[in-house]
Amino acid sequence: MVAQLLNGLVYGGLLYIVAVGLVLIFGLRRVVNFAHGSLFMIGAFVGFTIATRYGFWVGMLGSVLTLAVLGLLLDALVFKPLRDQDHNVTLLVTFGILLVLEDLAQTVWGKDFRSLPPPDLLKGTVAILGQDFPSYRLMVIGVAALVAAGLSLWLRFSKIGLYVRASSVDPVTTAVQGVNTDRIGAVVVALGTALAGLSGTVAAPLLAISPSMGGYILIESFIVVVIGGLGSFAGAFVAALVIGQIHNFGVVHMPWAATMIPFVLMVAVLVWRPTGIAGNRV
Amino acid sequence: MDSGGATPMTHHAALSWRAWGLIALAVAAGAALPPLLASTLVLTLLTQAAISGILATSVGALLRMSGVVSFGHATFYGIAAYLIALSIKHQWMAAEAAVVLALVVPTVLAFVLGLGIVRVPGMAFSMLTLAIGQAFHEFAVKARAVSGGDDGLAIALPPELFGLPIAVFQRPHSAFVLCWLTLAAVIFALYRVAHSRFGRITEAIRENEERARFIGYETDVPRALVLAISGLVAAIAGVLFALYNAFVSPEVLHWSLSGSALIMAIIGGPRLLWGPAFGAMVFFLVKDLAGNLTEHWQALIGLTLIVVTVLLPVGLGGSLIRLLAALRGGAAR
Amino acid sequence: MMAIQGHALTRRYGGFAALDGVDIAVPAGEIRGLIGPNGAGKSTLIDVLSGRAGKGASGRVELHGRDISALGVQQRRHAGLARSFQRTHVFPELSVVGQLEVAAMKAEAPNVDEVMHELGLGALALRRAADISYGDRRRLDLALALIGKPKVLLLDEPAAGLSMGESLALAEHLKDLVSRWGVTVLLVEHDMEVVFSICHRITVLHLGKVLAEGTPAEVRAIPEVVTAYLGSTA
Repeated sequence: MVAQLLNGLVYGGLLYIVAVGLVLIFGLRRVVNFAHGSLFMIGAFVGFTIATRYGFWVGMLGSVLTLAVLGLLLDALVFKPLRDQDHNVTLLVTFGILLVLEDLAQTVWGKDFRSLPPPDLLKGTVAILGQDFPSYRLMVIGVAALVAAGLSLWLRFSKIGLYVRASSVDPVTTAVQGVNTDRIGAVVVALGTALAGLSGTVAAPLLAISPSMGGYILIESFIVVVIGGLGSFAGAFVAALVIGQIHNFGVVHMPWAATMIPFVLMVAVLVWRPTGIAGNRV
Repeated sequence: MDSGGATPMTHHAALSWRAWGLIALAVAAGAALPPLLASTLVLTLLTQAAISGILATSVGALLRMSGVVSFGHATFYGIAAYLIALSIKHQWMAAEAAVVLALVVPTVLAFVLGLGIVRVPGMAFSMLTLAIGQAFHEFAVKARAVSGGDDGLAIALPPELFGLPIAVFQRPHSAFVLCWLTLAAVIFALYRVAHSRFGRITEAIRENEERARFIGYETDVPRALVLAISGLVAAIAGVLFALYNAFVSPEVLHWSLSGSALIMAIIGGPRLLWGPAFGAMVFFLVKDLAGNLTEHWQALIGLTLIVVTVLLPVGLGGSLIRLLAALRGGAAR
Repeated sequence: MMAIQGHALTRRYGGFAALDGVDIAVPAGEIRGLIGPNGAGKSTLIDVLSGRAGKGASGRVELHGRDISALGVQQRRHAGLARSFQRTHVFPELSVVGQLEVAAMKAEAPNVDEVMHELGLGALALRRAADISYGDRRRLDLALALIGKPKVLLLDEPAAGLSMGESLALAEHLKDLVSRWGVTVLLVEHDMEVVFSICHRITVLHLGKVLAEGTPAEVRAIPEVVTAYLGSTA
């Protein structure tokens, strides 16, 4: 029972890190990054590659940095130039990037599944309420909690954070304030993609790494973001927690309905609140 | 055709008699193709292209009429196909009735969904469509008892359907003609819708939903109807697929199928009625030619999508029209 | 006979009242100006009267004596209440005549040609709304409201962004239309030249409440109005 709850937190945590990256990018650039799942996947592969030579922690760091750079590129080449066009344009372009990245991963790493073992430090278990729970999974929960806390503080207390929050709520007015949107945008997008990479590497020891792992996490993170509300950080947090538990519950008890339930929940929430639980009221 | 900018969507000049003549000729030419082509292989490819063309048309129609991008149209396609398979397997009803059911259910589903999520912003809608496809796909994979899981379901079609021998639907020579004519009929029907009062209203709603309400129009039902129409077209493709293939598997519900249909629509030109179908033909042609040359088909498609979206928003079809107009303009001098 | 009336109109956003218990009554055939500093609640009043505020608003709205408070946006339009928008709200990819025709399909009196002619849009008939100039789009925004000869027109800064010449021409068109059609107009405007030249009476809003009401001459003379508003724009 406790293990199930914790496992739900593990999955929810991974989802949260990915989803919050989407929220960051949407908040600043007002577009949904359909390539986000692929970035998660690339993060897993890059982390894997670096980790097999230099160890898990270096792998994680390397992955985060690589994805941050990718984010800067993405912002400079795609989000910024296409800013003034119809939103569907960026949507389609990022979908195209999804396809390219999957193919790239297949070319570089092959179609086979890879696995990354957890770092030696965390290979054991910890006793929680009488049950043994893998330490690595605990760390995952910890990382997610750190990201949530760090992001919260950053959003609340830093200048960029204030801007991001304002922009999430009212992009037009915020843009008019004369802040350097471009630089801030690049930083925030890079942060968003870096988080996707972080989640990918952290997830690597738990999932099978393959070029197609991106699609699944993309859809799940979309469900989280839509339920939570497109611009909302708090919404993403709550939704990720809920979906994490539901996912786990589904996998254990009702595998044939595992994806159906989050989807039905998504539709139910949208019918009730078209912009998501915490989204901006239309 | 005016010289600057795109032609306004309203005030399409009714097509001239000459244009209709050419269209009829093209349709007839397609129908006459099979006796001329010796290769069953080519006809098989063309049949698949025609069916995909109908699916691509459904995605394109939604984009054109509502302005939203759907990544989930394989859902309507796949549900239609599975309904035929299941109806026949469990002998719920005659095969003809199963076809009707397979057309009605996805349409109604689309309508109800459309009504329910009518206030959802465009991007969230696109995300939702991806999730729909996934949900149904996973269900089909996991609910083995119902769907046969990954193994799929064979469809034991009756010897006759709607008075025609079943071979008509399955031999590439006749199947192609059937699918091609259906494609033409679907495009024509969408043309009539676009030029109807309803079509003009949905156009206005697409351009500015709020103002449409302020000039007196109810917008929820029309938008749901657009999704329903689009779902119906996808279901038509699904039915043809089921009859032709006599086999369904969860692939018919996968988001990659939806994605391909979307890409075909974009490449061909989503604003044109025949653009998506054109895109499907090009897609299949290039895939057949290039498929053997490169392993990186997916990256190629992705890049093409990006290039077309950014540089050639009217698609290949639209570019073709502009080219022809320019040539004719030049020739007139 | 009051063409349009509002009783105790209130619009709250959380604790903040954008509109606080406003009463307004415009007799048939009058051009009423609605002025006030930014944030006074002018656009909000138009929103509440036209039904755009939805459930966030309270109070009673009457159109020619009929209570329309419970009616939705479309129904108010059918009852004869039309409005234009501060931020131009047209149909970008439709042609000028095309969108006016769409509006006419829903109207009892399809007066497309008359409206196009009246507002000087005839030459632009086949052009896409996205391709015409800002000033032309502003007039198109207004034209869409005029289709069907509504009984009451709510105009939200129709002259915004127009040159002086264009603004005054617009004012003349409005005056002309009122006398020919007998339509009642409630006009939000910052351009005082327009307001004082065509309005029969003026209502002044300040911080969500009615500050003053009267003929242009009367309103000009009220010291509170001058300091609160006219002083900063005169």
